[in-house]
This record gives sequence, C-alpha cells and structure tokens, in this order.
Amino acid sequence: MTLFTIAFTLFLIMDPIGNVTPFLNMTEDFSSKKRRWIVIREMGIALGFMLFFTFLGEYLFNILNISEVALKISSGLILFLIALQILIPHFDSMRESLPKGEPFFTPLAVPLIAGPSLLTTIMLFTHLEPSVSLMLFSIALAWGAATAVLFFSEKLQGILGINGLQVCENLMGMILILLAIQRFMDGVGQLLTSG
Amino acid sequence: MNDFFSMVLTFFIISNPVGCSPAVIALIKDFDFEHQKRIMLRETIAAFLLALFFQYAGGMFLDQLLIQPYVVKMCGGILLIIISLRMIFPPPHAHDVQKERVKKEPIIVPIATPLIAGPALLTMIMVYSQQVANPLVLTSALVVTWIGVGTVLIGAPYFNRFIGQRGLDVLERLMGMVLTLLAVDMIVGGLKLFGGTL
Repeated sequence: MTLFTIAFTLFLIMDPIGNVTPFLNMTEDFSSKKRRWIVIREMGIALGFMLFFTFLGEYLFNILNISEVALKISSGLILFLIALQILIPHFDSMRESLPKGEPFFTPLAVPLIAGPSLLTTIMLFTHLEPSVSLMLFSIALAWGAATAVLFFSEKLQGILGINGLQVCENLMGMILILLAIQRFMDGVGQLLTSG
Repeated sequence: MNDFFSMVLTFFIISNPVGCSPAVIALIKDFDFEHQKRIMLRETIAAFLLALFFQYAGGMFLDQLLIQPYVVKMCGGILLIIISLRMIFPPPHAHDVQKERVKKEPIIVPIATPLIAGPALLTMIMVYSQQVANPLVLTSALVVTWIGVGTVLIGAPYFNRFIGQRGLDVLERLMGMVLTLLAVDMIVGGLKLFGGTL
C-alpha cells in the first residue's frame, strides 16, 4: 500500500468535513478561541486512540484470536452502515441528536473522529502493512489534515456554506461506501479461497 | 448506436427526474414561477458538472483507494435497491420530512445531488467510464440524457398541475419497480465479476 492510499483512506473515515456542522452546532455558545482549543485537545485524544490501536491492535488481534477474514468483514460492515447514514438522511444518525456543550472525550474525539470504523481500519492496515514507519507517517498525515479542517471549521462553513458542506459530505459518503463494500468482499473472497 | 441509447435510457431512469418531481416541487414551491425555473436550470447544470467530474476523475480515485470494478457495480446495485425499495414502500412521514428539510433556496443540495445525480447515478457513470472506450461517447450520452432530465425538471411545475399528486405517486411506484430490477441485475453482475476474481 502507498502512503497516499493509507492516509487518504484514514482521512475519509475520520470524516472531518462531515463533522464540521455537528461540531459547530455543539459549541455554538463558545468563542472562536475556545473552539480551536477544543479542536486541538479532542484531536489529541483521538490521536492517542489511533496510536494505541496501531501498537496494541496486533496484540488484541492475537489475544482474541480474531482471523483476518473476521476483521475485514466486520470492519466493512461497520463502515457500510456509517456511510449509509451519511448518504440516506432518513436513517437515524447520532450526529442529528448531539447534546450541546463542551465535548470532552465524547462525542467528538470518540466516536465521531476515532470511531469503531477508524480503529478497525487501523488494526487492519497495521496487520497488512509491514512497515511501521509508513503506517505512523500516514496516520500523522491524515490526522494533520483532519485537524486542519476542524481547526478552520468556522471559515470553512463560511466559504462553503451548509449546502456546500453537504455536497462534500455526500461525495465522501459515496467513497466510504465503496471502501466498505470492497473490504467486505475482500473478506468474503479470502474466506472462499482459503477453503 | 444501440449501446448509446441503452446508456441514455439507463441514465435517465436512474436519475429519475419524474420520480423526483414531487420532492422537487415541494422544495421550490415557495418561490415565484420565474425563480423556480432559474433554480431548476442551475440545479440541472450542477448535476451535469458533477456527472462529468465522475466520468473523468472517478477512475483515478478508485485506483488510489484500491477499489475494484466489481465493487463499483455492487455498490451501485446496493444503493439502488435501498432507494427503489423506499420508492415502492415509502417510509411513513417521508413526504413531510422532505418538505421541512429546506426552507431557504436549495443550492446543489438536495436537488442536483443527491436527488438527480445521486450516488447510484455517479457510480453508474463510473461503471460505464470503465467499459466505454471513447470518453466522448459517454459524454455525449450524458448530454443527451441531461437534455431530457432538464426538460422534465424545468417542466416539473407544469407537469405537477397536469397529472396531479395521485398520478405522480403511481409513477413513482412504477419507477421503483424498474429500479429494483436494475439494482438486482447490477448486484448479480457484480457478484459474477467477483466470482471471476477468485
């Protein structure tokens, strides 16, 4: 896998653009300065989770005796349902009913940014990708890009407007659903060929 | 030539301007007639640009993300079957939600995408862009389709008055049935391709 592939996939799954509107709604009563501080703190927590899973994912993998097939299928399923919530708005989404107030740990860091789909993806990639440094560099790249999007979320919403954000969000949802089905079918294919 | 028309027909059915009309009318009903036409023209063009983008840049995306052709086909089928089942069996209160969703002027969302150039259509365009050798053929098919789509959308306000709400409801169900057939065909096709990769 290339650096771009890993970083871009992780960035898409973090879905920072989709989180701009919920984040701004959640923190409506705060000043811009306070919001930026919240972004840095929450993204820091999310990064901690990502690194934790990068290093201990493999261990967890072995201790629970999970097969690669199971990881691919479950990760594909979770991602599929998340993408479906983005694309088909009538499905109940947790983003619609977020509590107001300062997010600490939940719901922004976990699960909106570092959610189950991101963590299973990281587990899968570290399992497949032998080079740890490439993996860490990709995570840093994707994390940096996602942090930048949320850091400038007010400006971004000003430029794109709520409708523009929705357009980006739909496009991302489409790519996510493709990734989800690909991963699920990879798992099924592996299951079938391994006998 | 035959392929060309089957492409145009497929695009037209998937973008489903007739079935979208009730929702579209509900979204723009608060504007005066001239303004409505302007909105529809703009939305039609926006959807077209989106379709063109996916024809030319969609493939690159897929390569970078390690997505294989059969997945694109299956994805189109799966999304389509969800959409079509909702057309045949509309969820309760779906119409109310659509009316409430946007009060201000709709820009690109929700008419251009996801109603007209929805995920299913964009996926379909990517499927064809992998199959059709000459990109200009596909682009012209899109142009022809969009003439039809634009006509229906810009005529939507007249159309509504002519066949009435009941007529539109019946049409939506029929379109839903056709879409379900298409969807299952796509999923089966994708599974066959998948079988070939094993």
